[in-house]
Amino acid sequence: MSTSTHQTKYSTQLQTDPLVTTYYVRDLEFWYGDFNALTNISLDVMPSAITAFIGPSGCGKSTFLRCMNRMNDLIPDTKVGGKMLLKGADIYSSGVDPVDLRRRVGMIFQQPNPFPQSIYDNVAYGPRLQGVKKKSDLDDIVEDSLKRANLWKEVSGILDKNGLAISGGQQQRLCIARVLAVQPEVLLMDEPCSAIDPTSVQKIEDLMAEIKDEVTIIIVTHNMQQAARVSDYTSFFLQEVAGEPAVLVESGKTSDIFTAPIDKRTEDYITGRFG
Amino acid sequence: MREQFRSDMYEVQDDVVDIMRELLNTTKLAVNALIKGDEVLAQEIIDDDDRFDQLTLGVEDRVIELIATQFPVARDLRFLQSMAFIAMYQERMADYCTTIARAARRSANKEVPQTLVDLIKAQANLVYRVMDATREALEERDLELALKLPELDEPVDSLNKQFYRELGRLTDEEEMEAASKMVMSARALERIADYCIDTGERLSYFLTGERALLEAAEQDIETKVI
Repeated sequence: MSTSTHQTKYSTQLQTDPLVTTYYVRDLEFWYGDFNALTNISLDVMPSAITAFIGPSGCGKSTFLRCMNRMNDLIPDTKVGGKMLLKGADIYSSGVDPVDLRRRVGMIFQQPNPFPQSIYDNVAYGPRLQGVKKKSDLDDIVEDSLKRANLWKEVSGILDKNGLAISGGQQQRLCIARVLAVQPEVLLMDEPCSAIDPTSVQKIEDLMAEIKDEVTIIIVTHNMQQAARVSDYTSFFLQEVAGEPAVLVESGKTSDIFTAPIDKRTEDYITGRFG
Repeated sequence: MREQFRSDMYEVQDDVVDIMRELLNTTKLAVNALIKGDEVLAQEIIDDDDRFDQLTLGVEDRVIELIATQFPVARDLRFLQSMAFIAMYQERMADYCTTIARAARRSANKEVPQTLVDLIKAQANLVYRVMDATREALEERDLELALKLPELDEPVDSLNKQFYRELGRLTDEEEMEAASKMVMSARALERIADYCIDTGERLSYFLTGERALLEAAEQDIETKVI
């Protein structure tokens, strides 16, 4: 398999019991065809916390994020090796239904992607699929999800307006409400704030802090300040040589990474010396 | 609103206020140990100094962490910088409590002239007042009170000078040795009060963004006194 001799540095020791983690990742490998994109990734994602993945473009952080709810399954000729356990269970074992997995592990993308339907129907979409039919139950779910997404105040009077007719930042929060409506255990956010206005960014960061006790959050961000601000744990990915696989350089508490990183490459990256 | 960051900053302030409250308590204990010649109490205070080191270091670590992760600017930045400085002053104040406790340990069982005991009591009471006002200014973010600290400190300095005059009158060798420990303690008390003034200066900088303000206030006070 991999010939890498890379050793990730950890400021907090890796757990031995997968059940205390949300994700328990060991020696993960990933291939696009013949290209080994990620190698030797071992990482714990802790519950009731926000974990940020940082690193320069092309360092594999989004690829790794998409491994976490098997979004990469949708890309032909990709291959995963190693272990990826969600609450102790292997998400790549044959019995796992990827659709059910993606219900448990919601995802937010860089570009807001609401359905071309009303705001109400966007949020009610998932619960309806799950069999919720009663109007009053749906009303409650829609209101609660929009509140948790920090959007309720702005849209409570225009719920029948098309989801595409509101601002980009509001659309992104609508997408978050849509994910929260199906009560996911994990929320994966892939650059959720890079295409939206600063006020919405602030609202998203606030809501992340508010919901993290119930939903484990993992965020990929190019904005190092955002990673530092919002996250409890940070993982730094790097592809040092083009064509070679990316590795996880360092992982640990955000306060440790941003005050006294262990690896010089982490220090160079966060102080803006490369990337 | 960055709610989490704001509540983190209030926690730092609470810690600094708590340390100030504990420092006042420890200063009182140290002075009592000195006056009563209580060696056991003196030793307890000396042993307690490590705890103050840990508490103040904890504040500094938290400040560094918040600066590194929250990118504070303007008022927030001034607040965090001020808290780090104030924690450093508090660490020194705790050291001066140890100085008094050491003097108490050495002068225990020795005859000390009553005039000096009375002087140290009077001075200590003034210092407690400065310390308590400092604590209140920190707790309430009270600029007016912070600016008043030099005024409260003024009599401390003049009492300190009186100590040296009293010391000069002594002739008995043994009495002089015990008395010199008292003078050392008086000097430590005076330094504690000075660090309270420095704390007020930092607080004023945080609240106003101007360093000149308290200097001007101090000058006013000096002219008044003259």
